[in-house]
Amino acid sequence: MDGTFLLQQFVNGLTLGSVYALIALGYSLVYGILKLLNFAHGEVYMIGAFIGYFVLIGLGGPDDLAVPVVVALTLMFLAAMLGSGILGVLIERFAYRRLRNAPRIAPLITALGVSFFLQSTALLLFGAKFRSYSTFQFLGGGIEVAGVRISTTRILVVVAAFSLMVALTLLVGRTRLGKAMRATAFDREAAAMMGIDVDRVIVATFLIGSILAGAAGVMFGLVFFSVYHLMGFTAGLKGFTAAVVGGIGHIPGAMLGGLLIGLAEAFSAGYISSTFQDLIVFSILIAVMLFRPTGLLGKADIRKV
Amino acid sequence: MSALLELKGLSLAFGGLRVLDRLDLHVNEGEIVSVIGPNGAGKTTLFNVITGLYRPDEGEILLDGESIAGLPTNVIATKGVARTFQTIRLFLNMTVKENVMAATYGKTRTGPLRSILRTPGARREEREVARLAEEKLAFFGQRLMGYRWDQPAYSLSYANRRRLEIARATAMEPRILLLDEPAAGMNPKETHEITELIAQLRTDGGHTILVIEHDMHVVEGISDRVVALDHGEKIAEGSFEEVATDPRVVEAYLGTKAASTK
Amino acid sequence: MPQLPRDEERSTGQPRIGTDEWVASVEGRRQRRSGVLGQLLERLGQLPFWAPLLVVAAFGLLFPFLTDSDYVVRVGFNALVFALLALGLNIVVGYAGLLDLGYIAFFGFGAYAYAVLSSNKFDIHLATVPTLLVVVVASALLGLVLGLPSGRVTGDYLAIVTLFFAQIFVTFTTNANRITLPWGDRPLDLTGGPNGIGGVDPFSLFGVEAIAVTSYFYIALVLVVLGMLALHVLSESRTGRAWKAVREDPLAAEAMTIPVFRLKLLAFAFGAATAGLTGSLFAAQQIGVFPQNFELPLLITIYAMVILGGAGSIPGVVLGALTITVVLEVLRGPDDARLLFYGGILLGLAIAIRPWQRLAAVLAGTALFGFLVHVVVGSLWPRGTARVAAQGEGLVGSIVEAWVLLPTEPGTIGNVAFVVLVASVLGMTLLRPLWRAVLLVPTLYLAAFVWENRLIFQPSVTRLLILGALLVVLMNARPQGLFGTARVEIV
Repeated sequence: MDGTFLLQQFVNGLTLGSVYALIALGYSLVYGILKLLNFAHGEVYMIGAFIGYFVLIGLGGPDDLAVPVVVALTLMFLAAMLGSGILGVLIERFAYRRLRNAPRIAPLITALGVSFFLQSTALLLFGAKFRSYSTFQFLGGGIEVAGVRISTTRILVVVAAFSLMVALTLLVGRTRLGKAMRATAFDREAAAMMGIDVDRVIVATFLIGSILAGAAGVMFGLVFFSVYHLMGFTAGLKGFTAAVVGGIGHIPGAMLGGLLIGLAEAFSAGYISSTFQDLIVFSILIAVMLFRPTGLLGKADIRKV
Repeated sequence: MSALLELKGLSLAFGGLRVLDRLDLHVNEGEIVSVIGPNGAGKTTLFNVITGLYRPDEGEILLDGESIAGLPTNVIATKGVARTFQTIRLFLNMTVKENVMAATYGKTRTGPLRSILRTPGARREEREVARLAEEKLAFFGQRLMGYRWDQPAYSLSYANRRRLEIARATAMEPRILLLDEPAAGMNPKETHEITELIAQLRTDGGHTILVIEHDMHVVEGISDRVVALDHGEKIAEGSFEEVATDPRVVEAYLGTKAASTK
Repeated sequence: MPQLPRDEERSTGQPRIGTDEWVASVEGRRQRRSGVLGQLLERLGQLPFWAPLLVVAAFGLLFPFLTDSDYVVRVGFNALVFALLALGLNIVVGYAGLLDLGYIAFFGFGAYAYAVLSSNKFDIHLATVPTLLVVVVASALLGLVLGLPSGRVTGDYLAIVTLFFAQIFVTFTTNANRITLPWGDRPLDLTGGPNGIGGVDPFSLFGVEAIAVTSYFYIALVLVVLGMLALHVLSESRTGRAWKAVREDPLAAEAMTIPVFRLKLLAFAFGAATAGLTGSLFAAQQIGVFPQNFELPLLITIYAMVILGGAGSIPGVVLGALTITVVLEVLRGPDDARLLFYGGILLGLAIAIRPWQRLAAVLAGTALFGFLVHVVVGSLWPRGTARVAAQGEGLVGSIVEAWVLLPTEPGTIGNVAFVVLVASVLGMTLLRPLWRAVLLVPTLYLAAFVWENRLIFQPSVTRLLILGALLVVLMNARPQGLFGTARVEIV
C-alpha cells in the first residue's frame, strides 16, 4: 500500500463524491420540503447526462469540436441543467402534485413508476448501448501532485461541484426564495398562511434539485465517460444514501454524505473489490439508519403526539 | 390504600426546556383525578411519559407498585394503562368494531398460524373478542351500535369518534384509563353527556381514570381530586373548590396582574 | 349492562338519519363509480369472499382442458405465479402498509435456494417437501433480517433500504461465482454467476415427479387458492387487525397494546415466505434460475399488479396479476399487440367519454383526421407514407397503410413523436374540457403513429413503458385500484 495509490483513490473518491453530493442535494431539498422520496431523481440525472452527450455530439463530437472547449463545456452544462430542471418541474407538476395529501405510500409508488417510465423512455429513445463522452481528445492534461496525475476533468468537476454547492448554500441562506423554502420545509401550512406561495416554492425546489442533478450527470460523463439508460438507478440509490448519511433535509449534510460515500466507494474499489462496492455503501446506509437515523449532521425531531 | 398509579419526582426536559419538573402524582384505585393547567403546562407530555412515548429523565412511575418507567409503550399498555388522544387517533380505515377489537391484541394469544388453521382455540378467542367489543360499544347506548359496527371509523361524526376512541381504550380492560381532553370540540349537550359518561365509566365500568380537561364544568362534575400543573410543576392539588380558588392557579391561568387585583 | 340493541333496532324499522349517516352517504356517493364498468366492479366488490375463490378454482381446473398448447398453459402458470407473488406482497403493502421494494429478492432467494438444494450444482438432491420447508423458513428469516431497519426508520427510508437490498441481491447472484475464500484453493462458485444454475430437479410430490407444465399449473393453482383462503382468514384475525392498525396509525396501535415492530417483522416474514415458496416453484418449472429473472422490471410488474387490483383486496390483487400477465404476454406478438393496443384505447375512450354520440364523434373525427393527414402528407412528401406496415398482411395492414403515416425511416421521427405524444397527453390533463376534446383527436392519431412507427418494433420496451405509466396514472387517478377501497387519511 503506497501513498500514491492512496492518494489516487482519494482523488477518485473526491470526484465521485462531488457527483453524489450534487445528487444528494436534490433528494435532500425535496425531502425537506415535501417529505417525499423522489425516486425519479436518479433518472433526472441520467437524462442530464444524455443531454450533455447529445450537445457534445451536436457540436461535432469529441474528436472534432466545432467550437472552443470552454464553449462546448459551458453549453453542455447549461443544456443539461436546463433540460433536467424542466424535467424535474414536469415530474412534480404531473406526477406528484395531486398526491400531496394522499396516504404516504401513494407518492412513493408513483415515484417508482415515474422512475421506471423515464428509464424505459431512455431505453426507447437512446437504445441500450453505452455512450461515451471520450473527453480525452480535448480535455487532456492535468497536474501532478506527489506522483499522482490528476486530470483536468477531475479538477474541473470538483471545482464546479463545489461552486454549485456554495451557490446553493447562498441561495437558501440569503435570498427571499431561500427563506420561503426554509419556512415551507418547517411547516407547509403555516408558510402558506403567512402568504408564501407554497406551490411556487415547491416548483422552485424541484427545479433547483433537478438542475444540480443535470450538472452531476454531465460531470459523471466527463470523468467516467459511460452514459446509459440504467445509470440513474444506482446513482440515485447512492445519492439518497449520501443524503441520509449526512442527515436528510440538511444541505451541508448532503454534501458531507456525498463525499463520504464517494470516498468509501473509491477506497473499497481500490482496496477490496469493485464488484461489491455497492455492498459497502449499503452497509453504511444500514449502519447509519440503525445507529444514527438522523444522519451525521441531522437533529432529532421530537415525536409529537 | 396504596396508590394504583404513582409518579415520583418525574422530570423531563427537551433540550433546555423543562417540560416536567419533579412532579409527584398519585391516583388511587377507583378514583377520578383531573389534571388542569394552561396550554403548555405539560399535561399531554405527562400522559406521553406515563404511556412510555417519552422516557423520563428522572423519577419513577409505579403502576400498582411496579415500576413501568422506560418500558416500551405497548408493554405499558398491556400492563393496564389505556389512553385516548387529544387529537383523536383512530384507525380510520378500519370498521368501528375492528377498531375496538384491535385493542384486545395484548391480552389475546392466537398467533397467525393458528388463525389461518382456525383452531378451536382461535375461534373461541375470536368470538370472545367480538363479544367484548360489542359490549364495550354498547356502553354508549345506540350511538355505536348495529349497522355502525361495519362502517369505517372515518365516517363517524366528531363526537362519535371521541366515543369510539374511549370504547377502544376500555376494550383493553385497563387498570387505569387516561383521557386526554375528552370534551374538546364538543358542543354543550355533548359535553354534558361526556361528563355523565366519565362518571359511568367508573360506576358501571369500574375504571380508575386520570383525565386532562379544560372545561371547568366537566372537571367540577367528575373529579374526586384535581391537580393543577404549570410549567411542568404541580402548583396545586385538592378538591375542585380548593384548586379553583388557589391563587397560584388563578395566576397561572390569568397572569400575575389579574391574580393580584383579585 | 346495557343490552345489545342490534335486533331491537332492526325491529323498529328504519334507523334515524343523523350526522354519521349523512357523512357516510356523501362519502359513499362520492366514491360510487358510474358507468357500466363501474357498476360491474361495484357488484363484484360486494360478492362474498368465496365467490372469487370458486371462480379462480373452477376456471383454473378447466383451463388446461381448454387448450392443447403447452405455451398457453405456461402463460397460465406464470399468471398464477404472479398471483402468488401479489398475494404475498399484499400482506406487506396492503395490510401492514410497508413499502417493501426488496420483495423480489425473496422470490429470487427462494428460487436460488431451491436450485442449490436440488440440482446438479452441488450434487445435492434433497426431496421436494423438505427443500420447500427449508426454503420457506429461510426466506422468512431473511425477511425478518430485512425488516429489522423498519424498527428505526419510517416508510420512505424503508423503501430505499429494501430497494437497495434487491439491487444487492442481483449484484450478488451475478458475481457470486468467484468468491475467493482464504482457505480454498480455487474460488467458490455459489450461484453460477450470470449463467445461473441449470438442471434444477423437478418437484416430486407423493412419489410423482412433476414434469409437464400442466402439473406445475395445478400445483400453482392449489397454492393460489390456499393462499387466498389463508389471507382472507388472516385479514379478519387478531394478526390481520393488528397489521391494519399498524398501517393506519403506528403510534396509536402501540398505545393499544400492539407490538408494532414485531408485527412489521411478521409481515415481512410472511411476505418473504410466500415469495420464497413461489420462487422455488418457479425455479423447478423453469428447470433453472438466472439473475436476470429478478431485476427491477419484475418488481415494477408485481407492484403494478397489486396496485391495479387494489392493495388490500384479495380478489383484486389476483385479478390484477392475471390481467397484467396476460396483457404483457399478448404484447409480445406484434399482431395481437396491435389489437390490444387499439382495443385498449377504445375501451379507455368508451369508459371515459359519454354519451356514446360524443364517443362516435371522436372516433369518426380521428378516422377522418388520419385519412386527411395521410392524403396531404402523401402528396407533399411521398416518403412519409412509403413504408409497408409492420406485420401488415391482410385488411388490418391495408387500413394501417392507408391511414397512418409510415415514413421510410421511422427511428428519429418516431422518437420525436413519442416525446410529443407524452407531452400532449400530459398537457391534456391541464386543459379545459373543450380544448381537451379538440386536442384528443390529433393525440389519438399521434398515438397510432407512435405505435406503428416505434413501439411495435420494440415490444419489450413497450411493456416496460406501459408498466411505469400504469403505476403513475393509477396512483393519480385511482389509487385504490379496481377493487380496493379508497383509503382516507387525515394528514
